[in-house]
Amino acid sequence: MPAPYTGRCACGAVTATINGEPLAVRQCWCRQCQQSAAGGPTHNATFLVAEWEMSGELASHKTPAASGNTLLQYFCPSCGTPVMVQSSARMHIASVRLGFLDEGHGLRPDTAIWVSDAPDWAMIDPAMERFDRQPPAPRPRTG
Amino acid sequence: MPYTGHCFCGQVRYSIDAEPVAARMCWCRDCQYIASGSATVNVLFPEDAVRFEGEITKLEKIADSGNSVERGFCPTCGSQMYSRTIKPAGMPIRIRAGTLDNPELKAPEAIIWTDSAPGWAVLDPALPHHSKGPK
Repeated sequence: MPAPYTGRCACGAVTATINGEPLAVRQCWCRQCQQSAAGGPTHNATFLVAEWEMSGELASHKTPAASGNTLLQYFCPSCGTPVMVQSSARMHIASVRLGFLDEGHGLRPDTAIWVSDAPDWAMIDPAMERFDRQPPAPRPRTG
Repeated sequence: MPYTGHCFCGQVRYSIDAEPVAARMCWCRDCQYIASGSATVNVLFPEDAVRFEGEITKLEKIADSGNSVERGFCPTCGSQMYSRTIKPAGMPIRIRAGTLDNPELKAPEAIIWTDSAPGWAVLDPALPHHSKGPK
């Protein structure tokens, strides 16, 4: 489904419309993602911030990343739904958590990252590109 | 030796004085919201064996099963910690596996609510699949 993409948290307090196509859709198995995502990987679709319209109050949590950058995780303070994540090194982009998007968005991960942290029972689609750890940043859209 | 765990930022901690009774993944739509698009991965324990410390935000909701379910998360970092069934009473508490100090304490033994899993989800064919809640 082409843009716009819409989303809401589980309780409806936070909503968003994204008027663009994602630069990347990835599945992240890093240990920190497993902690915040109830044991599985996070699923993240990266968009240009300029294409987002958001409403509702967001809580945020800052974490120093191994790279020296700061990771900013945003969630709904009422229901805890993870909404998006950003890196201080690339504040012009933000990755929406796929669970936040409304049904019918048609986005699916094509890349699995930090698979070195995945539990033994993890089932990772063999068709996806894999990175043991952090991949390069998403490339700018072309065309 | 109790099992221990904590949220992403460490504000919420817990210890569990019992062996897990089950482990399973849940693909219900409510779980996909709170698990960043994944299934939640849950390790089940007797509820009275779990002791939490720290501030927890609790949200009560009627789940897809029709049960009244409370979900708890850390208000500082947003990590999902548990869900427990308020009505009917007596069901095991579901600890989110990612918060356990040993997230591989017990591998999932079943996959539930597969009806609402996204088309791209890879479901282990060796595990029992339940289209909705477990029987």
